[in-house]
Amino acid sequence: MDEDLMDILCCPLDKHELELEVDEREGEEIIAGRLICTECGEAYPIEDGIPNLLPPDMREDAPA
Amino acid sequence: MGVLEDKARARVFYKYLSTVYDRINPFIWNEEMRDEAVGMLDIDPGDRVLDVGCGTGFATERLVQETEHVHGLDQSPHQLSRAFEKFGKRGPVRFYLGDAERLPFADDAFDVVWSSGSIEYWPDPVATLREFRRVARPGGQVLVVGPDYPDRTIFQKVADAIMLFYDEGEADRMFTQAGFETFEHHIQQARPGSPRAITTLAAVPE
Repeated sequence: MDEDLMDILCCPLDKHELELEVDEREGEEIIAGRLICTECGEAYPIEDGIPNLLPPDMREDAPA
Repeated sequence: MGVLEDKARARVFYKYLSTVYDRINPFIWNEEMRDEAVGMLDIDPGDRVLDVGCGTGFATERLVQETEHVHGLDQSPHQLSRAFEKFGKRGPVRFYLGDAERLPFADDAFDVVWSSGSIEYWPDPVATLREFRRVARPGGQVLVVGPDYPDRTIFQKVADAIMLFYDEGEADRMFTQAGFETFEHHIQQARPGSPRAITTLAAVPE
């Protein structure tokens, strides 16, 4: 994901700002890392450049 | 747990449907209908457009012809993987995994919010439409395409089992409850006898 997107992204749960933690980047592109809510602390992973902003109860590994 | 359970079911359903989705979709929603719906919008080249429930990217393909700033969100990694095949992960479209009812975007972030073929899977359509109003800027536009109640038995069975269908009266109620004041509905149909789509174009209140 493009780092500029931080301007429009927010926590899907409480709509507060997110903080970016980068594990891997290519220029402006964040390839791996996570977005952490500055209010509730929930962490949203960035995997292969795609931010997973599904609420925790809807993630692939969430119990159905 | 009812709502979450339904969402989980929709996710599993989509996982299997995604393999054939683009093949069966044209019966209900074809390129001509999609282009007609895009034509209802007023998109400037610099506008930021969000495609909610973009799935395999059928509408996204047309939206990128209008502006370079298209963002696609879907809850299904399997559907999105088909969209990645068309656009790449770091191509012209910015993709997110996310929930339509709990959008991960700031207030007024988009000029246009588009959603086609997604509303029938939303557990709470009014709450989701309210989210669209929140992330679209005042004076912006929201366009939602949903299936009108089908008249063919096979579609009715699927409809009754897992989906929500609605007519114009119901659409009026949902958009009004979600805080929209000005909107219009267009019934779109591939050909006589095929399932109809109900397309609602709403202005975001100033």
